[in-house]
Amino acid sequence: MTKTLQDIPEHIAALYKAHPVSSSIRRQPRVYADTSNFSSIDYGDIIIADNRYFVVTGHTVEGRFGVDDQPKQWVPKAIDLESGVSHILKLVFHEVFSVSVGSFTIPCYRSPEKEARILELTENHPRFMKGKAVEDEAGNLVRILDIISGRRLDKHIYRYECSHEEYFATYLPPVLREYIECAKAISFLHQAGFRHGDIRRDHILVEYGTGTFRWIDFDYEFYLPERPFALDLFELGNLLMYLVARGNYHPKEILDDPMFGQKVLDTITPEDQSLLSRNRVVNLRKLFPYIPEAMNNIFMHFSQGAGVWYDTVDELVADVEQVAAAL
Amino acid sequence: MADWHKILVAVDDSSLSERVLNYVGEVVGGIDKAEICLLHVYPEPPPYYFTEKHTLQEYRQEKETAARQVFDRAGKVLETHAIAGPRITTSCLMATGKTFSKTILQAQKDGGFGTVVLGKRGISKAEEFLFGSVSNAVIRESHDFTVWVVS
Repeated sequence: MTKTLQDIPEHIAALYKAHPVSSSIRRQPRVYADTSNFSSIDYGDIIIADNRYFVVTGHTVEGRFGVDDQPKQWVPKAIDLESGVSHILKLVFHEVFSVSVGSFTIPCYRSPEKEARILELTENHPRFMKGKAVEDEAGNLVRILDIISGRRLDKHIYRYECSHEEYFATYLPPVLREYIECAKAISFLHQAGFRHGDIRRDHILVEYGTGTFRWIDFDYEFYLPERPFALDLFELGNLLMYLVARGNYHPKEILDDPMFGQKVLDTITPEDQSLLSRNRVVNLRKLFPYIPEAMNNIFMHFSQGAGVWYDTVDELVADVEQVAAAL
Repeated sequence: MADWHKILVAVDDSSLSERVLNYVGEVVGGIDKAEICLLHVYPEPPPYYFTEKHTLQEYRQEKETAARQVFDRAGKVLETHAIAGPRITTSCLMATGKTFSKTILQAQKDGGFGTVVLGKRGISKAEEFLFGSVSNAVIRESHDFTVWVVS
């Protein structure tokens, strides 16, 4: 049964009443010790977890896909009423869905248990978001996440208003050094039997101040019994190419860019394109001739023309470390 | 060196398995000392299986029932090549915490099989990258035993 302010300790109710949120809602807040019905939890409500009282101040939204951003009802933003510290809470949502990778469909699901175990595993690892998983009154695994004060990686690399050549020569080397550390962090997960599950450019945040790249959001899980880490590996390759090229290049982007146009597009063969991402050009040296061949060879491991590919993240990291050292 | 006459044959319910069994039957049907172990490997349940209130025991029972049908059909194919009775044994394993290929390799090692027989589907590079090729993985790891790949 949903509780009310009368059901919580007086000093907490007093803190709630003193909080600006309480004056901006025109109804009695609901107090949830059981978060099973997360879709009914709204702005101004209180969630009890870890013997703490969190007032909901909003919901996060899916970050990358433009104007249709939907609030994620199972991921409220909240403030711990006693400490005043802001957190992101992730509530249990056992969603099963399919993701498309090239022409393939892979079963995927949201696993709060997996994310909780990774939070525990990476408690002292600087490359992962921090947080604590606790059970609510009904046994749901609520993850109380610390907010990383930082910028999405894709926005970070677009801060530099300069030509690609200048970006490549000046700004990419430190970006690559951070990428390598993040890739090593994924290897750390793999060695422990876990996948990140949703590697993409907006799932790394670049901390303000330190510039440290840190992984967020690891509740996706997928089902590839014979190649359990292949999708993480593939996405790490995609991320590397995105960082080096400062964008993704398909025929449309090549045609639209006055630096390239039809003349460059005509040189692109199927072997220059991604093994899995449809039409994505991975032979980036054809676009940016100053990319060293050794670096381009790494990208070509992810191409349709590849004769061999990386089996482990460590193999990829070893090659990236070599080329990064030579930049 | 492991005994080549001890043959581990990986089978499932595909038509490729029938082809594998016919191949094995043709090649070793007339060799009395050939012993065949039919191996059926199945994956661990996907984690969402448990959130739907199923149990591991239910899952195993379901998979073992399916494996018995696979073994029955395989036995009938081998019979047509005059291989029957005590020369055929069966093993049904869940790939627990490891890949199919590693489970097959473990079964080979545990049973001292000198020959491992697998089917190979024609798969694209992209499929192999993402989903893997059991036969390629077994070949890559094969030491002191022989692998037959039937396509």
